[in-house]
Amino acid sequence: MKGLGWGTVLLILAGLAIMPFFVTNYIVTFAIQIFMWIALAQSWNLISGLTGYVSFGHVAFFGTGAYTAAILISKAGWHWFPASLMGSVTAPLLAFIIGYPCLRLKGPYFAIAMLGLNEVLRALVSYFEDFTGGGNGISLPPIAELQPVYYAMGGVALGVVLVTWRILTSRFGLRLISIREDELAAEAMGINTARLKLYAFLLSAAFPGIAGGFFAWYSSHIEPLGTFPFLTTITMIIMCLFGGKGTVLGPVLGASILSIFQELVWARFLFIHQAIFGALIVAVVLLMPKGILGVLQERYHLPRTI
Amino acid sequence: MSIQITGSMLLQGVVSGILAGGLYAMVALGMALIFGVMRVINIAHGTLLMLGAYSTFWLFSLYGMNPFLSILISFPLLFLVGAILQRLFVYQVVNAPELSSLLLTFGISIFISNMAMVAWTADYRSVEFLTGSFLLGPIALSKPRLVVFGFALTITELAFLFLNLTKIGKAIRATSQQRDLAQVCGINVRRIDLITFGLASGLAGAGGSLLSVMFSVFPEMGQIYVFKSFLVIVLGGAGNYPGAFFGGLILGLAEGLASLFLSAQLSEVIAYILLVLILLVRPTGLFRGRV
Repeated sequence: MKGLGWGTVLLILAGLAIMPFFVTNYIVTFAIQIFMWIALAQSWNLISGLTGYVSFGHVAFFGTGAYTAAILISKAGWHWFPASLMGSVTAPLLAFIIGYPCLRLKGPYFAIAMLGLNEVLRALVSYFEDFTGGGNGISLPPIAELQPVYYAMGGVALGVVLVTWRILTSRFGLRLISIREDELAAEAMGINTARLKLYAFLLSAAFPGIAGGFFAWYSSHIEPLGTFPFLTTITMIIMCLFGGKGTVLGPVLGASILSIFQELVWARFLFIHQAIFGALIVAVVLLMPKGILGVLQERYHLPRTI
Repeated sequence: MSIQITGSMLLQGVVSGILAGGLYAMVALGMALIFGVMRVINIAHGTLLMLGAYSTFWLFSLYGMNPFLSILISFPLLFLVGAILQRLFVYQVVNAPELSSLLLTFGISIFISNMAMVAWTADYRSVEFLTGSFLLGPIALSKPRLVVFGFALTITELAFLFLNLTKIGKAIRATSQQRDLAQVCGINVRRIDLITFGLASGLAGAGGSLLSVMFSVFPEMGQIYVFKSFLVIVLGGAGNYPGAFFGGLILGLAEGLASLFLSAQLSEVIAYILLVLILLVRPTGLFRGRV
């Protein structure tokens, strides 16, 4: 059974690896989007799904990565790949500044601090115009071919999924889950909850940082409203919740299913996009708090670590 | 580009800061009540404020109703909306982990604000009722802000009188201090939850009505007030209702001075830095001990 599962995973990965040579650019672009959403939803899962601390401003790390890469490419002449990787330094740095004071405390402090972060970053980016281009944003040269971005974004998605799997099968993961289930009891058992929450948060900021860099390169233009939209955070949250928070494959499922739905159905109802997501969040929280994968895990007695 | 800051400018900054703070305190009191009684942070608080602002706007532009008089409609209207939300959704997550209540109210909030966008478009609307300012020596007092401050103060005071003198008010405070014990004493905490949510939403609605006189009305206007209200609660200390009042004044003051010395654009950044610093140094709030 176990071998069969791994075989399927390898087969899917091999299929995805050779896919860009056989399909149209439209499909490749769409796949890049799905990879991006997998990376973002899974990153949100790392902090909120595992520890129960809700991050309402995760798009901030995505935006930080995008601006880091765009500035390095346009001002310092870096190659796009290392420039994007630098997002895994700057985004966790920002995460540390917020996480250190807020995650020492229990309760809703962290969630609200993350909610406020959106407005703050947007104001800062507009204020430091010389550096960031203000409301006009930064333009990058148009990209010649999509394949490198496809592999890069796919790599981030795969990376964050593997990291989540590795965490969930380790003592670190068990400790994080114990924080989610009962923080006081976890502390009483000698777990340094403040530090572990911070580690999880730094990890969860690093991947959106990198994905943001790739996004900036592939969309060739970034500006405050397009790079820090609140909708991005909402989308990551609902994808993770819908698929199943606190699992490895839940966010992957959620991101894939909702991206396809979005492309096929909701693209026609853009004006009520947020309302659909809002209703979906309420429905999932009240009716299916464990998400699709959670329900499947219970019904078919699947292992907790998938 | 250093501008000479004169004493009168400083005074002006302080005065307009305090004027803004009165409203912050009133809006935050609603959020503090819900948090105190149910341990739920209501992310939809700002959306309810937005609904209050729109009800004033429509009453004003369609029927020419005095915006301050329209509080008599927006308060009960939002009381009802809040009570319905509580009855349908929020009661299910009162004892659930924090994650559930945060996400639930978040979902409600984005649903309502998107619906407002569909119904009323994203246009910025304004209620042009009171304009101009009084000159008081060297400082100018904007008329709408002064009147709004007066109303905010009165409504906050009425809310405190309600909490302190009436039987229901006392039951609300008792539930917020010790939920289980309150229940043992025969208080119907479910009913208290309902009244608290209604009252808090009413306060948000009245806050929206007052805001509409000073600032533009648009579907996403409320979002920032969720953050600011929470900051006010943290400044005052969670569960400390009079503290929330002073927290509001402090936030207004900090923003007033920040826009004087730095830039009005950065006032939200200042509020944010204030939050992070307070959490770092004094997470129990500035006025510890008094509940």
